[in-house]
Amino acid sequence: MELLPQALMDGIMLGAIYIIIAIGFSLVYGVMHVIDFAVGEWIMLGAFAGFYLTEWTHVEPILLLPGVFVVFAAVGYLFQPLIHRVLSGHRGNPLLMGLVFTFGLGLMFRGLAQTFFGFYSHSIPSRFSNGSFFLQGGGFSMTVSSVRLAGLVYALAITGILHYLLKHTDFGLGVRALAQNRDAAGLMGVNNKRTSAYVYGIYVGTSAMTGVLIGMILSLSAKMGPDFTIFAFFVVVLAGMGYLAGVPAAAFLLGIIQSFFLIYLDPGYTLLAVFAILYTILLVSPTGLFGKGV
Amino acid sequence: MRDRRLTRCVLAFAATLLVPAVVHDTFLLRVFTEAVMWIGLAVTFDVLAGYTGYLNFGHSAFFGIGAYTTAILMVRAGWHFAPAAALGGAAAGLGALIAGFPTLRLRGAYFAIATWALARAIQELVLMMDLTGGPDGMRLPAFLSPRFFYYVMLGVVGVTFFVYWFLLERAPFGLKLKAVREDEQGAKALGLNPTMLKIQAFILSAIPTGIIGGVFAYWVTFIDPASTLGDLVSDQALVMVVFGGMGTLIGPVIGAVLIFAFKTLFWAYLSDYEVLYLIILGAVIAGSVVFLPDGVLGVLPQRRKEVRNLA
Repeated sequence: MELLPQALMDGIMLGAIYIIIAIGFSLVYGVMHVIDFAVGEWIMLGAFAGFYLTEWTHVEPILLLPGVFVVFAAVGYLFQPLIHRVLSGHRGNPLLMGLVFTFGLGLMFRGLAQTFFGFYSHSIPSRFSNGSFFLQGGGFSMTVSSVRLAGLVYALAITGILHYLLKHTDFGLGVRALAQNRDAAGLMGVNNKRTSAYVYGIYVGTSAMTGVLIGMILSLSAKMGPDFTIFAFFVVVLAGMGYLAGVPAAAFLLGIIQSFFLIYLDPGYTLLAVFAILYTILLVSPTGLFGKGV
Repeated sequence: MRDRRLTRCVLAFAATLLVPAVVHDTFLLRVFTEAVMWIGLAVTFDVLAGYTGYLNFGHSAFFGIGAYTTAILMVRAGWHFAPAAALGGAAAGLGALIAGFPTLRLRGAYFAIATWALARAIQELVLMMDLTGGPDGMRLPAFLSPRFFYYVMLGVVGVTFFVYWFLLERAPFGLKLKAVREDEQGAKALGLNPTMLKIQAFILSAIPTGIIGGVFAYWVTFIDPASTLGDLVSDQALVMVVFGGMGTLIGPVIGAVLIFAFKTLFWAYLSDYEVLYLIILGAVIAGSVVFLPDGVLGVLPQRRKEVRNLA
């Protein structure tokens, strides 16, 4: 019982990171109707960008986040037309082809990363890594590492910015319109191609930034991608596909599950537990925990 | 036209029967056996991907379930090979029924990642259990007869292919699946039950995959989680199907032969560049989607019109 607050706190801080991944993933699905199988690979590439930049410049990795975002957002923006081309094909089943395409991309990225970055696990050194707070009160005590706390703050800030962007700007209105009905949005003057490219850029940028944070908090390796793809998908399904407001709760739940397995049970069973929960949710309520997904 | 193609298929099958009579080299026969196995894995993958429009990234799960069921029954319970492999197929089918029931009610994207997660979860489970030997894998009683395994593999894949050909190209079942693929709502309006059809297709795809897995286990005499449950099994099946031509029976066969030939040459000459293989697989998948939406099959001149008409 003594570890309970610690497990909860760790879970919440881990969950905060999943929020960012899942929001981007969900946005792309909403606008482009494709599940991006390469999400984990974007995270991995971002993490390695952060790792090498820190090694070369010796700058605090948190300060590098905006730079990583800009570079990767540009990459995503330039990449999106290729996916758009696949999705707007007329032969066969474009959505299926989109899925296959991003899967192929993910495989390629993973192979390239293993070639250039090797098989070893690294972690990004940060000035915050060693610091931690020790909280005590009411018979409980827990340690809060400052790098995890920074992750939580970052996640909340990005969520706030994305929320503002979606709900209070014309761009966000366009994005929401596209998600609701692509043809009608087009008739109302929303440029599908350009908006999709922006959304994809933002998503790749935030995913890469999150990768840097994951590299600081946990570790990074060329093989880290697939797990995060599955986690992103888990959060989105739990929240209800396309229901962004459900994402935080689902992400915190995933984080807490993970930290409980880490502290109380065998971490080797985490993925099995995740799948079991996913399976049960799909069986009982395919529209997510809140029943508001599509 | 149709009958001529059938004749050609029967002739090709007869030719494969003669392979062991011509090929005496054990290594070469091994290569042929594995080629036949990959044809089987590609064709089973295509039942769901091409005909039904659902990507099963957990194809390796069924291959692995078959392999491990066979291995456990033979090693721990002392069963004979044939019933063990049959039960391996049944276990894979049961797995498909259980996994397909909640996931196939939903749209394709859910299914794709859910099956992927399933494959990884099963891999994790096998790694942790004592029954399966964990990461050390399992060693089966050795039966060293390359010919026996060639014919068994060929028999399993041949029967599978014929059953598929009948069900998908001759019986109404294939048309029903295509109707679901093209327009699920429309299929429903015509009185079909899409969920049931998809589950049937999933099971139809899983059972032979499990049996092939069982034969594979007995053939190579050693299995571990990476070789039977690893992502590479699903990835290769996918690339073979996409490269060959989705939604046909002959496309995956062509894709399997070409990709497998490439793989064999690659491993023979470039095995130092192991990861390069992953990059090439990914590039071929992504490239095929962009440049060859109908696969190699769509490029063959006399086939082109036919494929267009289908699409």
